[in-house]
Amino acid sequence: MQTETTPAQADVSELELVRRCQAGDTEAFDQLVIRYRTRIFAMIYNMVHNEQDAWDLAQDSFVKAWKSIKRFRGKSSFYTWIYRIVMNVTIDWLRKRQVKAGGAEFDDAIQLKEIDPASKTVPKANPLPHQRMEGQEIRARIDRAISQLSPEHRAVILMKEIEEMQYHEIAESLGCSIGTVMSRLFYARKKLQNSLRDVYENV
Amino acid sequence: MKTFEEKWTAWLDGQLSGKELADFEASLPDLAAAEAERRDAHKLGAFLKEQLAPQALSNAEFFSHQLHERIAREDRAGDRGTRFPRWTIPRLVWSGTTALALFLITAVWLINQHQPGQQSEYLTQILNSRVDPVANPNATVYIFQSKNQNKVTVLWTEGLQSLSADYAAK
Repeated sequence: MQTETTPAQADVSELELVRRCQAGDTEAFDQLVIRYRTRIFAMIYNMVHNEQDAWDLAQDSFVKAWKSIKRFRGKSSFYTWIYRIVMNVTIDWLRKRQVKAGGAEFDDAIQLKEIDPASKTVPKANPLPHQRMEGQEIRARIDRAISQLSPEHRAVILMKEIEEMQYHEIAESLGCSIGTVMSRLFYARKKLQNSLRDVYENV
Repeated sequence: MKTFEEKWTAWLDGQLSGKELADFEASLPDLAAAEAERRDAHKLGAFLKEQLAPQALSNAEFFSHQLHERIAREDRAGDRGTRFPRWTIPRLVWSGTTALALFLITAVWLINQHQPGQQSEYLTQILNSRVDPVANPNATVYIFQSKNQNKVTVLWTEGLQSLSADYAAK
């Protein structure tokens, strides 16, 4: 897993930082936040499709991680552990949002109009206007397709395809069995293939 | 025993090998179609990876600053919570037990302090002997004396019709 670190920071092992955090060192926690904030924000953004919500959920996740870091025993890697917190926070939020929306299917839970085309997570390579427009349309199609998946299916497909996590790491992060991860991956892929085939075939 | 979905996913991600791989591929009705499906899934994966690749978090420093502030605020709130602990069930039980014990100790002490006088058997017998049993067949006289410094004496009479002129309780 790639992290956002400087060479000096990389010298300090993650376990050492975690131990310092457990002793109440907030500076050590800052370093862990710097390492993971971008990936965690992007992961949440890809699940909720709203920059402000993703920001708030990432903040909530890190606060929860700080509060419960004393319970981290090092049986799994730190990023698997924090991903579990992130997934719990995000999936819980999506479920509550679904309830507020009157139990609507995920097709309707997040509308296309809520997606900010100027979001920072849109690939930025200074494209030409027509290319930018096309990129926004593609991004909107992907977001819409992902929003039609259940929160658990979103989490699995994003962790596998974007984060390139192993089955057992995804299972640990979601607190389920490897078989469940593989089964969810099967259905999530099928759904996305059906809804996005015309896009990725023509890009 | 893996389900078909699990086997398919493992096959698609190149996680099957040896006999398991051979058995699964042999079980597929159309291997060529399955291979095309696998290529399609890989294309989807690469497409998602390319389109959803994480970009730098805008205002990353502000993100950390805001988080730092929030953690400091919550830690301060936590400290206050430690100084004024919540009334958990075990704490309630212990507090209740302690309060009850204190109440009982105080009550016993107060009762001992304000104990009514005890009946004096000796004086009662004397008093009863001075009552005329013919004139007062059902008379009963008791005398109580308190032990405290007030020296209170209580004379309790029942069924007493009359007393002789020289009757004196003490």
